[in-house]
Amino acid sequence: MIIAESLSKSFRKKGGKKNERVKAVRDVSFTADNGKITGLLGPNGAGKSTTLRMLATLMHPDTGSASIDGIDVVKQSSQAREKIGFLPHNSGIYPRLTASENISYYASITGMQNNAIDARIKELIEMLDMGDIADRRAEGFSQGQRTKVGLARALVHKPQTLMLDEPTNGLDVMATRNLRKLIKRLADEGHCILFSSHIMQEVAALCDHIAIISEGTIAMADSLGGIRERTRQEDLEDAFVVAIGESLEESA
Amino acid sequence: MNKLISIFKKEILDNVRDRRSLFFAVFYGPVLLPLIIAVSMFGSYKQFAIDFEEISELPVINAELAPNLVDFLFKNNIDVITAPDNYEQALRDSDIEVVLKIEQDYGEKLAAGKPAPLTLYSNDADKESGKAARKITTMLNAYERTIDSLRMQTRGIDPDIFNSIAIDEVDVSDGGLAGQMISSLFPFLLIMSMVTGGFYLAIDTTAGERERNSLEPLLSLPIKRELLVFGKYLALVFFITISAVLTVITLSIVFKFMPTEVFAGTLHFDPLTLFIGLLLASPLILLIGSLLMSVAAFTRSTKEAQTYLGILMVLPMAPFFLLQFMNIKSANVIMLMPMMSQYKLLEKAAKNETIESMHLLLSFAGTLGAAALLLMLAFWLYRQDRILQ
Repeated sequence: MIIAESLSKSFRKKGGKKNERVKAVRDVSFTADNGKITGLLGPNGAGKSTTLRMLATLMHPDTGSASIDGIDVVKQSSQAREKIGFLPHNSGIYPRLTASENISYYASITGMQNNAIDARIKELIEMLDMGDIADRRAEGFSQGQRTKVGLARALVHKPQTLMLDEPTNGLDVMATRNLRKLIKRLADEGHCILFSSHIMQEVAALCDHIAIISEGTIAMADSLGGIRERTRQEDLEDAFVVAIGESLEESA
Repeated sequence: MNKLISIFKKEILDNVRDRRSLFFAVFYGPVLLPLIIAVSMFGSYKQFAIDFEEISELPVINAELAPNLVDFLFKNNIDVITAPDNYEQALRDSDIEVVLKIEQDYGEKLAAGKPAPLTLYSNDADKESGKAARKITTMLNAYERTIDSLRMQTRGIDPDIFNSIAIDEVDVSDGGLAGQMISSLFPFLLIMSMVTGGFYLAIDTTAGERERNSLEPLLSLPIKRELLVFGKYLALVFFITISAVLTVITLSIVFKFMPTEVFAGTLHFDPLTLFIGLLLASPLILLIGSLLMSVAAFTRSTKEAQTYLGILMVLPMAPFFLLQFMNIKSANVIMLMPMMSQYKLLEKAAKNETIESMHLLLSFAGTLGAAALLLMLAFWLYRQDRILQ
């Protein structure tokens, strides 16, 4: 379970003056429950990645706090990381290592023993249906294959919470459908899944709970039905536009 | 500990599979560079050094006019042969190196006690010709001195009257400038191969990792960032060590085939000395490792890293030039300076001089201290948000 409270983060402006700062995240609060898929929906540059990075203990928030299963991500970052599986966009796997080697490296870093690693890799290869690429070097993998390896790596230490940063980017229809199926299955197993995306339909098709983020602030957080009700829009795209405070006529 | 070994093993495996990393670590610095530099140095040495023992031929015009001179040259390992008719063209074509012409009135003037005319033809555009001309001029000067003193003695003058000053040159340095150059060559090549050996691994494990987006998920794993950095550092140090050891092996072989005169008689570059040199320079392995590591961590992309590290490539050359042009005394201060102290220590090792234990201590302390500071800097850089930006 993820609880984020009033997170904010600013960066030094690139190419700007010394004290000029860009506020990437202003005020982000939301909750993501276990057994549910929570979507972080927002346009590019809204602060999705920065939020995920703070939750994954990669960056310290300027203000606010966040916890994973009750563990503070700033004060107990090491323990928090044991609970998290993180898949960045573009998956970030090593091209010169095989799929198995990629997974095995992460397993050993998380402190697993050798025999446990082999068993876990076998399990993940079966679960993600990647027997054909297990012993091939990742160089030249398709985006779908890379995402599979990245996901297997993120799952290797059986984390309760899974954070996926735009995982369907660049995937074809079948790969996207398979990934959705998998994410649903993981949620059914009781995992807490936080999923960031800028694609409305995807979030609508997958998520139990949606947090709409715009200009570094959570504009609305509710179930799909709740958002439709509160914005009085049937179409999610319209609901999104209303939620972030724009008028429908202008943007249409 | 297991985690550290896993990181180390992964970085080694990953970079052994990268042909570029491997080429620079085991071939460019350790084999190619020493060969190119050593062979060209040996070549230029051969061009400038005159070997008076070597028997050579000298084309002479009108040799029959000066039998005594021909005899003198013969005694000094120069065989006189008849010059070709088109000797000027032959000189220009570098078919012959030098031609001595004995003028018709040579004997006449010699008998009259006047300067006897000789003409030496050479081709200054050709290095070999210039070298041959210098050799012949030296010989002719020696012949002139014998005739001078004979002429004076026949006139009842002591030839020593014209030697008002007796200059006795004693060079107390070991091997002179050439020796200095050669003794700097070893530390130069060693440090150069250390830098090139670790170059690509440093870029790949830090800036490259960031560019492939693989740093983000790596840092989200339950492991301390310092441990991660240290594992990468160990892999880097391993690559640098391999480069350094291979360089010593290459140089052991190359120096074996060099004529001993190149070392000016006072320098010793047997395999044992080279390996002692490697031990003396070993703290540099750690220093160069942490230097490459923090520069690569500071940069945002592999391209930027390549630029910065490319500039760093002049680093091993800095002491080489400073020691050439500045007359730095071998004081304790120098021994505290990384690179500088290794240059001095390796020079002493090559000259078989005893190395003071104080100097050794200062060199190790100064270099290891700098290495530790730079490693701390790399740790610090990895703790900053900007490592992911």
